[in-house]
Amino acid sequence: MSKDSPLRPPANKAGKRISFALAIAVHLVLAGFLFYGVRWQTKSTDAVEVELVRAVPAPAPAAPIAVPPAPTPEPAPTPVPVPEPKPLPPPPKPDIAIKEKEKPKPPPKPEPVPAPARVDPFQEQLKREAEQLTQRKQVDSAAQELAQMKASQAAASRNKAMADYLGRIRGKIRGNIVVPPEVKGNPEAVFDVTQLPSGEIVTVRLKRSSGHTALDAAIERAILKSNPLPKPEPADLFSRSLELRFKPLVD
Amino acid sequence: MNVTQDLSIIELILHASLVVKLVMLLLTLVSLTSWYWIFRKAFAIRDARSKTDKFERDFWSGGDLNALYQSAVNDRHHSGAQERIFEAGYREYSKLRGQKVLDSTAVVDGARRAMRATYQREIDDLEAHLAFLASVGSVSPYVGLFGTVWGIMHAFRGLANMSTATLSAVAPGIAEALVATAIGLFAAIPAVIAYNRFAHDVDRLAVRFESFMEEFSNILQRQMR
Repeated sequence: MSKDSPLRPPANKAGKRISFALAIAVHLVLAGFLFYGVRWQTKSTDAVEVELVRAVPAPAPAAPIAVPPAPTPEPAPTPVPVPEPKPLPPPPKPDIAIKEKEKPKPPPKPEPVPAPARVDPFQEQLKREAEQLTQRKQVDSAAQELAQMKASQAAASRNKAMADYLGRIRGKIRGNIVVPPEVKGNPEAVFDVTQLPSGEIVTVRLKRSSGHTALDAAIERAILKSNPLPKPEPADLFSRSLELRFKPLVD
Repeated sequence: MNVTQDLSIIELILHASLVVKLVMLLLTLVSLTSWYWIFRKAFAIRDARSKTDKFERDFWSGGDLNALYQSAVNDRHHSGAQERIFEAGYREYSKLRGQKVLDSTAVVDGARRAMRATYQREIDDLEAHLAFLASVGSVSPYVGLFGTVWGIMHAFRGLANMSTATLSAVAPGIAEALVATAIGLFAAIPAVIAYNRFAHDVDRLAVRFESFMEEFSNILQRQMR
């Protein structure tokens, strides 16, 4: 530097890298915050249905079984652990359910009682397995029952809603029917109606005539007059084509 | 448009139209740059302040001016702004002093001019890029707003094709568009804060330099006698 050259501030390069890194870090933090913190999901809330069923009777026998801690719930291929025989009190009342079944044939029951010193481990395990099996069966059947009940209930409610829907349509149309005076007997007419999701009628087609042309025409007029048909209560019951039966003289 | 849409931020960005995406990209770059300068300026100003403190301590502790000058010349890479101002003034002063034709006022005036030139250079260096922060702070909300307006136009145009106008048909589009405003505000707010703060800091440093120049001129004047 010559003697007269002006004093310039030195180019400050020190902060460059760290500033850049910090700037990136700030943005990463923000991006992470946005990604994890902002999650507006339009998740439809799950409908919670509660059903009250009578308690499953199975768990009752579970308590006495749990006392001798089995090494594994499954029958392990390894031999039964040795320390079992001593601390184990001779299984006094193994299971109510099984006892009842075994009543007619007494031999298996007294067998473990007189020989408390040496309980046959194999026999023991067999019995336990049998208990577990029956228990599981009971639980399974209860669950099945529950599912069946649920399904039948759902179907029933659906059928009821469908019947209600058709009834409302029919009721609306019936109010519009002007029965011609000369009609006698109990004629039935069947119409095929095509509708839009909004309930608007697209086509009306006579499927089976009642025998009276005038009555058929009157019913058709009535259908067209009740133009926006009522909508089903659960919207998924909607169907484009409906088959409607009319017995105007009976109703 | 699917109504039960996942509105996470990634989805919002990916579904936006091209113009909105470009706006978001631009704003992200601007925001990165402005944060870069925020950090650099913060470091530079902090550094300048600490060096000024140190030099003022050394100067007013009553050391020999010549020794101070020598240390400033020798250690130029680590000298602060105020030290350089002092160096320029003292150099000019010692040069002019040797000439017998000049009276004391002229010598001190020459030193003061030299100091002022250095001072202006220093302040200019400290203030560099503050204008960038200022314009980011004032403009990027508008850029984000532009992206939002564009995205909302887009969303409403899509609404025209639907038979039933529901809010859920436009809502995702509007949410996408609003992300642009959010990014714009994120770029602008720190820039404005940093600009105000740095401008204030630089002003305070400038006041310190100016008062130092006045005081140093007085000392030089006294030395002339």
